[in-house]
Amino acid sequence: MRKYFYIFKSNLIANLQYVSNIMIGFITYFVIIFIFTNLWEYIYSNPDKLINGYGLEQMIWYVIVTEILWYATGGRKLCNKISNDVKSGNIAYNMNKPYSYIGYSLSSHMSEAILRGVLYTIAGMVMGLVLLGPIKDFNLISIPFVLISSLLAVLINILLVICIGLTAFWVEDSGPFYWIYSKVILVFGTMFPIEYFPGIIKIILNYSPVYVTTYGPAKLFIDFSFESCLSILVAQIIYLILSVLLASFIYRKGVRQLNVNGG
Amino acid sequence: MTAIKVENLSKTFKVKVKDKGLKGSIKSIFKPKYKEIKAVKDISFEVEKGEIIAFIGPNGAGKSTTIKMLTGILFADEGNVEVLGISPNKERKKLAYEIGTVFGQKEQLWMHLTPYDNFKFFGAIYDIPNSVAEKRIENLKMLFELEEFMDTPVRNLSLGQRIRCEIVASLIHEPKVLFLDEPTIGLDPVVKENIRALIKRMNKELKTTIFLTSHDVGDIEKLCKRVIIINHGRIVLDDSMEHLKYNYLNKKIIEVKMKEKVNLEDEPGITILKDKGYNLKIEVDTKDKNVADVIKLLDPDKIIDINISNIPLENIISDIYKNEEK
Repeated sequence: MRKYFYIFKSNLIANLQYVSNIMIGFITYFVIIFIFTNLWEYIYSNPDKLINGYGLEQMIWYVIVTEILWYATGGRKLCNKISNDVKSGNIAYNMNKPYSYIGYSLSSHMSEAILRGVLYTIAGMVMGLVLLGPIKDFNLISIPFVLISSLLAVLINILLVICIGLTAFWVEDSGPFYWIYSKVILVFGTMFPIEYFPGIIKIILNYSPVYVTTYGPAKLFIDFSFESCLSILVAQIIYLILSVLLASFIYRKGVRQLNVNGG
Repeated sequence: MTAIKVENLSKTFKVKVKDKGLKGSIKSIFKPKYKEIKAVKDISFEVEKGEIIAFIGPNGAGKSTTIKMLTGILFADEGNVEVLGISPNKERKKLAYEIGTVFGQKEQLWMHLTPYDNFKFFGAIYDIPNSVAEKRIENLKMLFELEEFMDTPVRNLSLGQRIRCEIVASLIHEPKVLFLDEPTIGLDPVVKENIRALIKRMNKELKTTIFLTSHDVGDIEKLCKRVIIINHGRIVLDDSMEHLKYNYLNKKIIEVKMKEKVNLEDEPGITILKDKGYNLKIEVDTKDKNVADVIKLLDPDKIIDINISNIPLENIISDIYKNEEK
């Protein structure tokens, strides 16, 4: 584990030099939250009304949290990096080092995700408190669980993006797969809680990455209960194990296909 | 003791080919065509522990493919490889602890970190305890003369300084075999000399086996006692530098400046390379003709200036490449 901590630390040192670049991304984040605040205010003509069990403030806080998780993950950059590593043969230069490529990618990207997560959390919380004020009946005890669940959500998301990036072993460009994945998460995971979707879609979403990567931590933040906390954390742990196994399987299969041009 | 053992190693790449233009591109979607490129064909050799060996060949000869198979990056199609008794494909991670690699065209250092932080990082990924890593960094710092820039981020170092740091980073875990793929590429002659001296010192002091590929004849001539030449995926020569020089350096080049024009023509052992009247460039094959005899033919009294030299190793190697192609 020490080596992965060093990879994490080294990448964190690098990223600390680009904090201002990360903060430029706040602009789009603020615009998205502003648009959704107006949208939900329009839908909730009566602020005290509940739709599918959620009030207006909860809905806006839901979007604030899911967008933090989405921005923290920075999936597109990671997918491009993995895909380019495979296509250019750069991945080969990691293979003769005594660490796993997946562990390397995960720990180096995690440092970036955590840094972005901290900055976006500060921005999101300030924006939420200024626009809406605190959530009614917010339970302080939920904070550690929300943090653990958020960390697991980002970890799972990163692993799934690594799996998508590794498809570059077989296809010319893994970008289209990532595009589909990101749109599914965006539409079903960041805008509306799962309860908003009808019948069969709701059931599917409950077993999908949406449940563990965005819905779970946001649900715990806006409507905490120990019952939902347990089911979300269990689902996340199962997903984490499965995504590690899937990424290792894809890597092992793919690496045999590797053609590295000579120099 | 054998450090590297290669037996009948072969590697074939499957490369997608498509016909020209839009039609060809559309056709390749539905009916992709592939061609096979045999990068390495049935090569065998052994390298002894502590040896510095040059593995050379023109571009596309199969050098890097071979290195990548030796380090576990590529899987061999056929044949057997053992590095320090370890199979690179079956036990890649185990082998990683025993070997070091420096690819001159590919940096492994973190650009934003200082050399010191980089070396600590490499110490950690090779599971070396902190105190041991510190000691090794200190020794290598002295050996490679890095004191001046240990605290400067790598991105601010000159190429020569960076290559020295690259080599040190690959030595932190004290590898028994070091693969150097064009370590002096892009360096100026003074820095090249410096790097060569350091590699030699490292081989002497740490007893590291060095497997070197380079297009730079100076690297080969000054560092290696044995040379393997590969072309079109096959080994065309595996010999000691001494033999190589002895067998191919029987030819001498004589450049003379004369007081008067001389009429000298090609004959067995003598080839006129350049004749500008008063200035002549002659190749002498000493198997057929002595240098002294050639000078007599020129009439020593009429010679203003004379220079006798060996054929550059570079020409010898390119002759070997060309003969192989014929």
